[in-house]
This record gives sequence, C-alpha cells and structure tokens, in this order.
Amino acid sequence: MTTAIADRSAPTPAQAAWRAFNLQLALYKHVWHGTVFTSGLLPVLYMVSIGIGVGAYIDSSAVGGLTYAEFIAPGLVASVAVMMLGNDMVFPVHGGYEDWGGHYLAQRATPLGPVDILNGHLLYAVVFRPFTNCTVVAIVLAFFGVYTNGWWAAFAVVAAALVSAALAPWLHFWASSIKNDSNLNMIFRFAVVPISLFSGVFFPAGEMPGFLQPLVWASPLWHGTELARAATADVAPALPPLAHIAYLAALAVTGWYAARWRIQKRLNF
Amino acid sequence: MPHDEEILVRAADLRKSYGEHEAVRGVDFEIRRGEAFGFLGANGAGKSTTMRMIGCVSQPTGGELEVFGRDPHTQGAEIRARLGVVPQDNTLDGMLTVFENLVVYAGYFGIKKKAAKAKAAELLEFVQLSSRAKDQVNELSGGMQRRLAIARSLINEPELVILDEPTTGLDPQARHLVWERLFQLKHRGVSILLTTHYMDEAEQLCDRLVVMDEGRIIASGSPRELIDTHVTKEVVELRFGTAHTTELAELALTLGGIGAQIEALPDKILVYTDDADDTNAALEARDINPTSVLARRATLEDVFLRLTGRALVEDEA
Repeated sequence: MTTAIADRSAPTPAQAAWRAFNLQLALYKHVWHGTVFTSGLLPVLYMVSIGIGVGAYIDSSAVGGLTYAEFIAPGLVASVAVMMLGNDMVFPVHGGYEDWGGHYLAQRATPLGPVDILNGHLLYAVVFRPFTNCTVVAIVLAFFGVYTNGWWAAFAVVAAALVSAALAPWLHFWASSIKNDSNLNMIFRFAVVPISLFSGVFFPAGEMPGFLQPLVWASPLWHGTELARAATADVAPALPPLAHIAYLAALAVTGWYAARWRIQKRLNF
Repeated sequence: MPHDEEILVRAADLRKSYGEHEAVRGVDFEIRRGEAFGFLGANGAGKSTTMRMIGCVSQPTGGELEVFGRDPHTQGAEIRARLGVVPQDNTLDGMLTVFENLVVYAGYFGIKKKAAKAKAAELLEFVQLSSRAKDQVNELSGGMQRRLAIARSLINEPELVILDEPTTGLDPQARHLVWERLFQLKHRGVSILLTTHYMDEAEQLCDRLVVMDEGRIIASGSPRELIDTHVTKEVVELRFGTAHTTELAELALTLGGIGAQIEALPDKILVYTDDADDTNAALEARDINPTSVLARRATLEDVFLRLTGRALVEDEA
C-alpha cells in the first residue's frame, strides 16, 4: 500500500496560505483560456476603439500633453485588475461558504484556518492575477507604442497589484457578508462599476463635477491610475507617489482586518 | 495525567451554546482507537454540533474536550491534520475533476504532489471510482460523490474519520455501496465516528453509540446492549385500517396487560414483548382483530422511541 506522508504539524501561516492558494491555481487551470480574452483581446479592442478612434477627436492639451492612447493605457492596465477582482472576489467567495461547492468549508476541515483560507485567496487575487494577466495587458499595449517612459512602464503592473491589494479584501469582506446570492450584484453596482468609471482612466478626474470629487479620491483605481500613469508617461501624479501608495496600503490593511473578522465569523461555528 | 493513546476523543461535561440556545448540554463520552462510534439522534439533537467541536471548527463554551490528547482550542490545526472529515454536503469542488479534488485536498495536508497522486489513485480504486478519475465532479451521481468525499477524507491517512450523516439523501443501492466501503474501512482498523438519524445505519456500522436528544446523551452502549437494556426482544406492530393518532391511543388503552409495554404511534401500535406468539394469542383471546400484524425483533428505532417518547416519561414517573 502506498504511503502518503502527510504533515502532522500545524503549517506556518505562509505554508498554509500557499496550500490554500493552490486550489485557486487548480481552478485557474480550467479557465485560463477565458482570461486570454480579458488580458489579450480586450485591451486591443479598447485601444483601437477608444484609444485611437475616440482619441482622434481629443486634443492632447486636454490630457496633459499626451496622446489619448498614451493617456488611457496605464489606466487600462489597472482597471483590468479591478475587472478581474469582480470575477475572483465576489461569486467564488460567496460560494466558498455554502451553495456552490463550499470550498472554504472543505479547507476548514483540514489544518488550514479561516485566516489561511483568506490569505490563500488573496494571494491569488492580489499577486498571481495582476502579475500574470496585467503583465500580459501591459505587453499587448506596448505594441501600440503608448509608453513614453521606457522600462519604468513595467511599474504600471505594480500599481495594478496595489489596486488589487486595496480592493480585494474589501470585496472579500462584502461577499462574505451577503447571505442571499441574489444580492451579490450590489457589489458590482455599488463598487466595481462606479470604481471603473470614476477613476480618471478615460478622462482627467479633475474634469468631474466637484461633488463627485470625493468619490474619485476614495477610489483605489484612481490612486492606482495616477501611479501607473507616472510609470508609463512620467506624468507627475496628483499627490506625491508615497501618498497614493500610503492610501492604497491603508485600504489594504484595514480591508484585510475586516475580511479576517468576517471569515472568522463565518468559519468558526 | 498522561494521555492514553488508545483514547482518541474524551469529552467531559462538554457544552456549546449559541446565545441563549444551548445546543449541547453537558455530554460525556470517550472514543477509543479502532472502534466505530456513533451519535444517534433526531435533527437538532446536538450531534452535528458535537462533531464540529471534535473536528475543531467550533469552540466549546463549557466543559472539557481532548482529541488525540490535545486541546482543540490551542492545537486545532495539529488535530485536524490527523482527522478525516466527510461533511454531509460533500463540499467537493464541482469544477475540478475527481482526481484533482483528491490531489488538491492532499495539498492542504502538505502532501507532496507525487505522493498525493499515488494516494489519490489508490483511494479511487478503494471507492471504485478509478474509471471516473478524469470526469468533473458535477457529472457524478450523489452516491459517487459521497464515495469520493469518503476517499478524500482518507487522503491524509487519518487516525479518526468523521462522517456526518454519511448516507442521507442517497437511494438504497447507493447507501449499501457506501456502507460496504465503510465496513471495509472498519476491517482495515480505521477508527470511525459518525452521526446518523438512520437507526439501521447505526445498528450495522457502530460498535458503540450514544443516543442524543435535546443536547444530552440519554443512553450509550453497543447496539445490542441498548436494545437489551431498553426494550424487549421482540415487537409486534398492529395496524387498524385507517385508524390513526387519537383512535390508536384509545385502542392502545384496551391492550393493557398484553406484552411488556404498549406504544401508540400515529399510524400503528407497538407491543413490546419477549414472546410474539404469546402476544398474538393474547390478542386473539381478547378478540382484538388488527388489519395487519407484524412480529419482528426489536431494533434501535424502538430504543429511540422508548427513550425519547412518552414511554420514557412514564417510566420516570
């Protein structure tokens, strides 16, 4: 009889998160070809239709002296991160607790604890997805010649990962708090869609009416877009880069504590 | 006190409350290595809550609990590393294949990929699902999914396998297939802990069991001991056409002196007796003519009825 050598000791937090992450990776292997559209084709469509098409009507002085394609490219990299979070951090989180598989419940019966399960899912959404899919987006956009800042443009992917880090735990918290799956669409209506629209990706955020400005400042995607644009086009961001990073980090840390509190409530019976 | 390696689980005055509601109200039991131990009870009796505490996903609110001599509060991960769990709703991942479900689950226990694959193949053979290894779980029948969940629970070679209602929702054929695999596990010396509200399941699978009701253990022992202690050897079931609850209760009053005890149920009357032939003769002598008479040996179901029903209250009085 074959003998599997199971580890009888408690895993370290890093080991446990890695083990939980592997479920997401196994699932990703079944759907990766679908992400080819999001990462490869979608930026091309955006760039051709909006970057070049709409851009032909926009004076570069309106967008800080850049071509319109150069202006929207960094925001596109970061907004793909938000789009992916909509896929990874809403239905898969809600389903983890019960109806559609209960993978969190399955993991909970093993040496993994609620925080490990959270960290494993975040590892996938905050590190794996941005650094694979957003990198592909950034490379595809490079073929349009939209980066004027050389290799610094690579930091647009880091900015996208920071947006994911800031937003993912809050989405996890929200999706974990909703018991009725028909209410999950609220997350898209009140978070994912407004964040995607009002973050200065397609037009300078300063053009928005004054009363909407607080929404812009609150949006993690706006901070990420400012950082990404600084990376790809060497444009000075609205705030000092460290201030943008500090805001995103603060959202990430507070969100992680909120998500941790919620998942512990759900998985400690 | 040194831990006795032969005792896998020890509970003393174990309690669990959710706010005002006391789900488990002070239970004591020990589960020994190599035995099949059962929690028998109706829905809401507190058996699943007790299982969750043993599975270290729910903290007790009172009393003591040791699993493998360890404290679930501080050593939950170490304890779960040595447990196998088959939840009632399987919690298999429908998007993954049968084989992937096992390999990914093995990863949670730190089992290396190569060893995990070998173990997964071996376990699929054990649960007779080798031919379905590449299929997605969603394509399996309910019985197959339950067998896969059992295979998954064995991936870490657990010292104790916990099964929550292992055959609930399965058709009779699938139930028997699951039972057969659990018998095989028992023969291999694997310790089993299960909850069930199927009396026949408890009787067939459990070496020892406790009967739970309203958060308390109201009886414990082997199935045979429980039957011998709490009910007579035989039971005669009497049906009287379409008569039900109230009429049957009135009819039961006319049976006084026949058998050791009478129990009126909504659809039939049970006469507990040590000799069914004597009971039948007594019925005839009184000119009582049921539409159907069935004599059978007493089962755990009768024990449960006696312990949780009206009869128990009468005895206590």
